[in-house]
Amino acid sequence: MTDVHSLIGAYVLDALDDIDRATFDRHLRDCEVCRQEADELFEVTARLADGAWSVPPPRLRDNVLAEISTIRQLPPTMVARPQPRSRRGMRLVAAAAALVTAAGAAVAVYTVQDQRVRDAQSRLEAAQASEARVRSILGAPDVQTRSETLKSGGRVTVSSSRLQNAGVIMLTADSAPAAGSVYQMWTIRSGAPASAGALREGQSAAVQVVEGLPAVSNVGVTIEKAPESATPTAPLDALVNLA
Amino acid sequence: MAERGVGDRPEHLTPVPTPETVPDAGLLLASVARGDEKAFGKLYDLVTPRVYGLVRRVLRDPAQAEEVAQEVLVEIWRNAARWDPDRGSATAWIFMIAHRRAVDRVRAEQAAGDRAARVAAASVDTPYDEVADEVAVRLERQQVRHCLDALTEVQRQAVTLAFYQGHSYPQVSELLRVPLPTVKSRMRDGLIRLRDCLTPEVAA
Repeated sequence: MTDVHSLIGAYVLDALDDIDRATFDRHLRDCEVCRQEADELFEVTARLADGAWSVPPPRLRDNVLAEISTIRQLPPTMVARPQPRSRRGMRLVAAAAALVTAAGAAVAVYTVQDQRVRDAQSRLEAAQASEARVRSILGAPDVQTRSETLKSGGRVTVSSSRLQNAGVIMLTADSAPAAGSVYQMWTIRSGAPASAGALREGQSAAVQVVEGLPAVSNVGVTIEKAPESATPTAPLDALVNLA
Repeated sequence: MAERGVGDRPEHLTPVPTPETVPDAGLLLASVARGDEKAFGKLYDLVTPRVYGLVRRVLRDPAQAEEVAQEVLVEIWRNAARWDPDRGSATAWIFMIAHRRAVDRVRAEQAAGDRAARVAAASVDTPYDEVADEVAVRLERQQVRHCLDALTEVQRQAVTLAFYQGHSYPQVSELLRVPLPTVKSRMRDGLIRLRDCLTPEVAA
């Protein structure tokens, strides 16, 4: 029996792995009181950070100032609300939450956002099927995991199993891209990219099963114009080397 | 308490004011959010020793720390408009980014496998009192030290092993030989106790 909320201390201390962190982020999105508690505890860790003083190398200042002069700032985050959109690309249903079970942590209760009542059942079935597949891949004895940070902030983790001949891409961005843009995932085989699915607008976390992933050399993430792009647009937001 | 509603963050949790007349990180960050590079320079001077110090503390390696600190500072510039003052202080937001980036780097290395074994072996040999003492000695703020001391042994170790050394909670569980659920709750309890201890007296 795991109560997701009990992870809050570990979350604030960054002591969770990517899967638990994604799960907890999702939990926070749905729980205002929990967000407040997390915010309060972040004030505490800021005090702990206060004690760790160290004089930075002088060149760091020049390097940082030079770099920011070439970097465009992101716009403020708009209030994200679920948008009923066509479901091209992929069926991603609370997959991060589903992963709690994959991680062996008891039953996750998940909400399916922007879901119309009449197709609720089929989505749920898709989620359950996908959850079972995710579990079988992550539970494979030969599973290998690679992870990279997203330039836009966040993380992409790729777990791949030859025995299952499949893999899982877990994307957890710090925030969704600006309105009109989406995260899109790519697999690259012999230099040729193929879409592994795009997130919806306003969506910042995803778990995607990719069959045949072990044959792929790289997994890339880009930010594309919604709803998705036929080819990846430079620059890559992250590139995970699987070779 | 003027503008804050009853359901809002309690007054005693607002950022602790810095006694010296240093520039205010919140005001600076708000200017940075509007693209003010000069304000960014001031903010840099204000927070970088702590950002770099924290990152270096977690990563140990000065070269890596410098690299990650640069990423953090650039991220602060990029994302400044996404800081929400209603949710927390500027410094909390900044150190949250810094700590997460540092820990991400540790995890990436561990995933790559070239550090996990070494870290685990080295850490097991580290007497915990020493770890806690070292942390305490470096803490310039008497109050933080005092409040860390007020925690139970396991609470303090759970918090400091995760925060200052970047250990995940399963690693902390292993290091302290304490079951996972206990570690989770000690982390939470420890932070809550720290929060209560660090809280200035609430004005009646």
